[in-house]
Amino acid sequence: MKRRIQKVAVLGAGIMGSRIACHLANAGFAVLLLDRLPDAPAESLSASEQRNRLVNDALQASVRSKPAPLFSNHRLRLITTGNFSDDMPRIAECDWVIEAIVENLDIKRQLFDQVDRYRRQGTIVSSNTSSIPIHLLAEGRSHDFQQHFCGTHFFNPPRYLRLLEIIPTPQTRPDVVETLMHFGELFLGKETVRCKDTPAFIANRIGVFSVMHIFHLTEELGLTVDEVDLLTGPLIGRPKSATFRTADIIGLDTLVQVARLVYERCPHDEARDRFRVPQWLEHMVRNNWLGDKTGQGFYRKEKQNGLTVYPSVDLNTLQYSLKPKPSFATVEAMKRAASWQQVLQQATAGTDKAADFYRKFFYGLFAYVSRRIPEISDELYWVDAAMQAGFGWQHGPFAAWEALGIRQVRAAMEAFHFTPAEWVDELLRRGHESFYRFEQSKRYCYDVSTQDYRPVTGSEHLIVLEHRSDHEVWRNSACRLVDLGDGVVNLEWNTKMNTIGSEVLEGVNKAIELAEQNFEGLVISNQGENFSAGANLALILMLAMEQDYDELERACRLFQQTSMRLRYSAVPVVVAPHQLTLGGGCELALHADSVVAAAETYMGLVEVGVGIIPAGGGTKELAVRASDAFTDGIPELPIVQRFFTNTAMGKVSGSAEEAFEMGLLRVGIDLYCMNRKRQLFEAKQRVLELVRRGYVRAQPRQDIRVAGRTVLAALYAGIETMVYGKYASEHDRLIARKLAYVLCGGDLTATTSVSEQYLLDLEREAFLSLVTTRKSMERMQSILNTGKPLRN
Amino acid sequence: MQEAYVVAGLRTAIGKAKKGAFRHVRPDDLAVVVIESLVKQVSGLTPTAVDDVIVGTAVPEAEQGLQMARWIALRSLAIEVPGVTINRYCGSGLEAIALATAKIKCGMADCIIAGGAESMSLVPTMGWKTAPNFTLADDHAEYFLSMGLTAEEVAQEHRITREESDAFALASHRRALAARSAGYFQQEIVPVTVEEITVEKNHRTIHRTVVCEDEGPRPDTSLEALSKLPPVFRQDGQVTAGNASQTSDGAAFVVVLSEAMVKKLNVKPWARLVTCVSAGVHPRLMGMGPVEAVPRALKRSGIRLQDVGVIELNEAFACQALAVMKALDLDPERVNPNGGAIALGHPLGCTGAVLTIKAVRQAQRQNQKYALVTACIGGGQGIAAVFEVFS
Repeated sequence: MKRRIQKVAVLGAGIMGSRIACHLANAGFAVLLLDRLPDAPAESLSASEQRNRLVNDALQASVRSKPAPLFSNHRLRLITTGNFSDDMPRIAECDWVIEAIVENLDIKRQLFDQVDRYRRQGTIVSSNTSSIPIHLLAEGRSHDFQQHFCGTHFFNPPRYLRLLEIIPTPQTRPDVVETLMHFGELFLGKETVRCKDTPAFIANRIGVFSVMHIFHLTEELGLTVDEVDLLTGPLIGRPKSATFRTADIIGLDTLVQVARLVYERCPHDEARDRFRVPQWLEHMVRNNWLGDKTGQGFYRKEKQNGLTVYPSVDLNTLQYSLKPKPSFATVEAMKRAASWQQVLQQATAGTDKAADFYRKFFYGLFAYVSRRIPEISDELYWVDAAMQAGFGWQHGPFAAWEALGIRQVRAAMEAFHFTPAEWVDELLRRGHESFYRFEQSKRYCYDVSTQDYRPVTGSEHLIVLEHRSDHEVWRNSACRLVDLGDGVVNLEWNTKMNTIGSEVLEGVNKAIELAEQNFEGLVISNQGENFSAGANLALILMLAMEQDYDELERACRLFQQTSMRLRYSAVPVVVAPHQLTLGGGCELALHADSVVAAAETYMGLVEVGVGIIPAGGGTKELAVRASDAFTDGIPELPIVQRFFTNTAMGKVSGSAEEAFEMGLLRVGIDLYCMNRKRQLFEAKQRVLELVRRGYVRAQPRQDIRVAGRTVLAALYAGIETMVYGKYASEHDRLIARKLAYVLCGGDLTATTSVSEQYLLDLEREAFLSLVTTRKSMERMQSILNTGKPLRN
Repeated sequence: MQEAYVVAGLRTAIGKAKKGAFRHVRPDDLAVVVIESLVKQVSGLTPTAVDDVIVGTAVPEAEQGLQMARWIALRSLAIEVPGVTINRYCGSGLEAIALATAKIKCGMADCIIAGGAESMSLVPTMGWKTAPNFTLADDHAEYFLSMGLTAEEVAQEHRITREESDAFALASHRRALAARSAGYFQQEIVPVTVEEITVEKNHRTIHRTVVCEDEGPRPDTSLEALSKLPPVFRQDGQVTAGNASQTSDGAAFVVVLSEAMVKKLNVKPWARLVTCVSAGVHPRLMGMGPVEAVPRALKRSGIRLQDVGVIELNEAFACQALAVMKALDLDPERVNPNGGAIALGHPLGCTGAVLTIKAVRQAQRQNQKYALVTACIGGGQGIAAVFEVFS
């Protein structure tokens, strides 16, 4: 029988439990969240309120926390709360029970005893433990329980941190593991990796090794905290917080805990000494310098002359001081490198202390991970995937090794007394030079047990633009049009923050033209950090400062025409945004035949923040959507007001779901997918679906009903309220009134049908009148120079 | 010209809008309960003897639309009895009493039931379709400021501090609670049986409650609690949920009879409306309306301020009431001795009638000859009425 998960019980409503429950609700599942009874029941609450106080309070605290664990607070209705004493029998309604209570074997066992009693046969049970061996938790349970039990290790915050580790025991049925792997990937949007039941599993084992290895190297090479954070941050494709700053965020005590766990439980780990906690770290933990949670760790926030500064600790003296910006010749060389591969080569080629560090760091790490196969995972690609999703490494350790040349590194390791696993030498003996292979856009990975390349699971739903350079159809300086196969092409651009300038607009027009000539349809998406931060502001500001109205007019018109071209193309165009999708980026999405967004898409028309209104067709499109929502006999004001308010406030959605609520995405037309890695595949499928169902080019609209002066008057009154309430400045008033004017179609006497072009003209006039005002230019300058909006 | 007299007055308890017991109760239903009791209180008065019913309401649409007064009259009295709905926003209830008095004095009627009914739960303050005049909104958008912002403007111009406002709000609660324990409101309030039909565990369920006490006054409030509330309307402003009037539901009516009818029925008059005037001020400073209206009313009635024993000044906002008191030099002891709208609530169109009943009853208790009722009105108006009270 097909295994389906429809209702999930989460036991334990702590930080992890309640947030896991929220994310399951994000995915649309009914959730039963239980926790224990409160110790001392409070008076004045009804019996059930009193008995569920702990779980309800914990859930409320999570829902209010930042970053928000729910896509939208509407999702809360999917979560039912209860307590272990009264509601345990209800786990019989659930298909999966996740345990996320305190990390204590005895307490967990007691709870599983209850679970074993009440669960239906065949219900999956899993533990979110990060430190207790999974097989110990299954001990003594019923046979059916053991067959359906495994570890499911989420990372905090579960909505945002993309990794999910699945840890089966030898008793776990394979179909249970498969179900969870599939569920995690498709429904929860997680990078779901299969781990062995070893201490700290994959990500924490390697992640903490990496940190501890760096800690020891810091000491051995006499480097400083600041130097190491420079070397181990974005420079090598790791998060901005690099090593020590990350430790402050995680908490030094947590880090030490994991290090000790591995040290004690892995007596045969060849690099066990690396998990020994250095004296200075012991000291810091004793001093309660645990990082952000106690206000100081490797860094401390201080005010000096009114400025916030972050002096770092000296590991020898444990004194905090501000250090000059570190500089290394190797770092300069790395900055000049053209590719990721070259960066790594530069890093390990030099003669200074930095290069010395890099060699020891990378070679040590590579040797370590190679020897963890098959100890922690049979598949080496899961190690890479876990490190990317769990620790934000741009490239996994095996991919990095491959980039440096497996053979070369293997040879160089000798001098540093690092010995990789046997299978690496075997791989080289067989004449292979890579861990990964791409064939016919499928991804293969070296398999240690069969000593051959095998397809990576899930890669059939994976399209990586970077790997499709041999399918390029067209390019200009900013854009690249790539054939995705099956008659679908993808346009991507690669500019700073993926902003949209004239080359990008040229690219969009060209892509549509070529798609119309030779293909079935077009996807507009990219796999950079953000879909697009909006139009190229620097260019607009330059033209505005020169008061070059003709050029501004032309630029605005070009954007509008591009949006209209997108809407009225002869082939379907699907826009697939992710992360920041602002201003002009949002306007392009608004004109797609269908949007296939990533669940984590932060969409909004934020032009007001830089002193203008959306004028790439965005304001027009909002008027069109308002018009389509008008219903005879129902006042127009609230409908227009929703679009007006969101745009006047520059509101950005907190998720794709919220973009639906804001009317930026359309129910039944636009979609979102939970797993960002599958997004491009889904977008391509959407194009093919539109083609299959018979795509017909739409006709430009002449029937847009705008409300005119009745609604405009009410909006003007509302704007005044914002100004008098000091929520809006005089300049905000000017911008908001222009925005209101366009949304209402002007001061027309009555509700009137107008064309899209009429609205585009209004939109453009409003843009031109605002863009050259001094205050709007100041706003643009502020965003460009400081990244912060100016409210003038 | 014959004289006209207020001979009786009753009201419902004032419910908290959206969350109180009346949150689903229609204003016309509230009005019917009050008027039915009121007719019974005036001995000898038969329903058909009522010449007209004047109902004030501030947003005459939706549940308050369809010329609500006609249906109230028909249901509470008789098919033959007419009704008219009038609107002077927060002055509506008082205006209804003034119109009744004027009609009777002119000999156009002998018995009119007048007052107001408002459900702020069911009908939004701005109505379901807000459509200000474009020409006005284009040139003078500030005419349409929210009431809270007009209060901020008043506070700023008249230098009323947050501390003063909070202290005033606290006093309003204390006075209302004292009046309640003294049993003052019991005499005014008609108990209303509220029936709510809901679905519980998939079953149609009927709940009945009897509402006979105002829901607004809070025994647990304190200066500390009030001072912690954030401003609602203006960043760095001073108007909070604690020092502004509460949004409310309620109905209140009085019986106005001609001199001849009073004699015929042999009832004892409560009071005589000496005069009632309204006056305009700048819409931005709407809260200062009473400052224009009160002197005009006093002048017309020929009564001096010092002869007025009881003043009911509607507490739209604490800072607004304080600014008016300062400008008119009113004696705080005589203003709202039993608390005001900050504690008790402000069901817009009904309030004028509530204040009239409160003022007359208090003057009777204190043997005062004159009572003044005044309120500010959205759009920039004030209304003020002087009553001669018979103890």
